[in-house]
Amino acid sequence: MAIIETFGLTKQFNGLVAVDEMTLAIDREIFGLLGPNGSGKTTTVRMLTTLLTPTSGEAKVCGHSVTASPREVRDRISYVPQDMAVDMKLTGRENVVFFANLYGIPRPRETADEALAQMDLASRADDMVNTYSGGMRRRLELAQALVHDPEVLFLDEPTIGLDVAGRRKIWEHIINLKNGGMTVFVTTHYMDEADHACDRVGIIDKGKIVALDTPTALKSLHCHEIIAIRGEGEYKGTVVPDVTFIGKTDDELRFQAISGEDSGIPLLRALTNSGMKIHSFVIRQPTLDDVFLSLIGEQEETMAFDHHRFRTMLRRRA
Amino acid sequence: MKRTFTYMERDLRRWIRGRINVITSLVMPAAWLIFVGLALPIRFTDNYLDFITPGILVLTMLGASLQGGALLMFDKILGFLQKFLAMPAPRESILFGKILAITLRGLIQTTVILVIALILGAHLLDPIFLLQTYLILFIFGVLLSSIMTTVALSLDDHDSYAAFNSMVAMPLFFTSSALMPYDQMPGWLAFLAHLNPVSYAIDAIRALQGGIFPATTIAGLLVSAVIVLSICIMTFRRATV
Ligand SMILES: Nc1ncnc2c1ncn2[C@@H]1O[C@H](COP(=O)(O)OP(=O)(O)OP(=O)(O)O)[C@@H](O)[C@H]1O
Ligand SMILES: [Mg+2]
Repeated sequence: MAIIETFGLTKQFNGLVAVDEMTLAIDREIFGLLGPNGSGKTTTVRMLTTLLTPTSGEAKVCGHSVTASPREVRDRISYVPQDMAVDMKLTGRENVVFFANLYGIPRPRETADEALAQMDLASRADDMVNTYSGGMRRRLELAQALVHDPEVLFLDEPTIGLDVAGRRKIWEHIINLKNGGMTVFVTTHYMDEADHACDRVGIIDKGKIVALDTPTALKSLHCHEIIAIRGEGEYKGTVVPDVTFIGKTDDELRFQAISGEDSGIPLLRALTNSGMKIHSFVIRQPTLDDVFLSLIGEQEETMAFDHHRFRTMLRRRA
Repeated sequence: MKRTFTYMERDLRRWIRGRINVITSLVMPAAWLIFVGLALPIRFTDNYLDFITPGILVLTMLGASLQGGALLMFDKILGFLQKFLAMPAPRESILFGKILAITLRGLIQTTVILVIALILGAHLLDPIFLLQTYLILFIFGVLLSSIMTTVALSLDDHDSYAAFNSMVAMPLFFTSSALMPYDQMPGWLAFLAHLNPVSYAIDAIRALQGGIFPATTIAGLLVSAVIVLSICIMTFRRATV
């Protein structure tokens, strides 16, 4: 039996299909759900954490149905939502002890201290949370989630809005938790992070899973070698044999080729002939980002950021 | 039950930490007591302070409850509620904790107002009277905070909650029996005042001042509180699936 199973899981909002016939089986692993804004990641997590009722289909967590026995599911999971929510006017320790009491842990203070230490927050435990950095607040949320030693941890965009060091630290903790036997279901926008940390990833677009495998398998399956080209002028769809166009990012065109070395020069020549002016080109191994681009197309990164900024603004007002 | 207290403790802790709010919410009722209770030239009684104090106590509770609904509104829009709902603790304890925290907060504030009234010379220092007054204020607090929590659950954002709040606050106070007895009011006002739940709480405390135990009024408040609380629980269940 898999730890998380879904069968044709579907959620509609007034006719809009947010999650479409999703069927998954997730074992003890870090499973990454990747997708652009509005693709249905949060909706999926909210169904699995018993916060939303599916329109149709079924989901089981640790063998318990999210609709028929939600209490059993909640006993075994922790959920850290996308928006950071910790009490600013309480200390780090107070925040975690509060959760320990809600979970009904026998020794709330000691357990909270252990969780804080595990998240490297012991030295700041008695400071008010409004003096914490963004990364520390996220780790505090993880400490809150860990006090009742859940079997499954759901993290929705755990690294959004953090700097590079902050992100790396969060992922280190996530990997440690998995090594300790926990199942981690995580959603993210950041392909490179998923590439390094996730055992398996599912790519979701408009509510549908369009690819599901280990990062390595996905890369070798969908792309061979990548030719990334920077230049001026409009791309008119020119290709040469053994090369396919996978997409366009802000400043570059990306192609995949069976051999970049063989196809690079012919491709450049063809592009120049079509009227483009080429500034530079690189041949490299594919990344998850390339797989994502070839499956889904250009990602609107800016939207996610504004979303986050808006929530931060709201929080300051409160 | 234990979880209810855990949720309540969180809200009270956060309230006490926001030191300024603790003071500012007391300024209005204290000002009413001092400037209106002491200074207004009134003919229908020689001790207006004694007359107006029950009104101000209920006003304080009213203010606490109106502000209190915002607590759940913020938990909702900031994502706290999401976290709480995914936990195994009984979901209703979120609601009970809120209502209890708002009511307790109101009782602490009314205590301060009560002390100010005593210092100003109001005649209230009878333990049985005080005990019964607290009982009435408690029931009234549960009634109003359940109403406001239901409103917060039904609205989507804090701005509409604030709008609702300012729309009802003043009318509720001025159309009550807080400032004058029914026989001194114009007919239309007396009519409105008889419909206003705020009047019932005030009249009950005034009855206590006159040495009568207002059993029917208290029972009425209690029944209303239970009804509204049930509506609140139903709204909460519907809002959270
Ligand atoms: N409560 C709701 N009512 C109506 N539509 C909703 C609701 N929640 C989500 N949606 C819609 O469902 C779709 C999927 O949203 P969801 O929040 O799951 O996306 P996401 O992948 O988490 O996006 P993001 O990366 O921006 O967080 C979107 O089109 C969204 O507008
Ligand atoms: Mg999301």
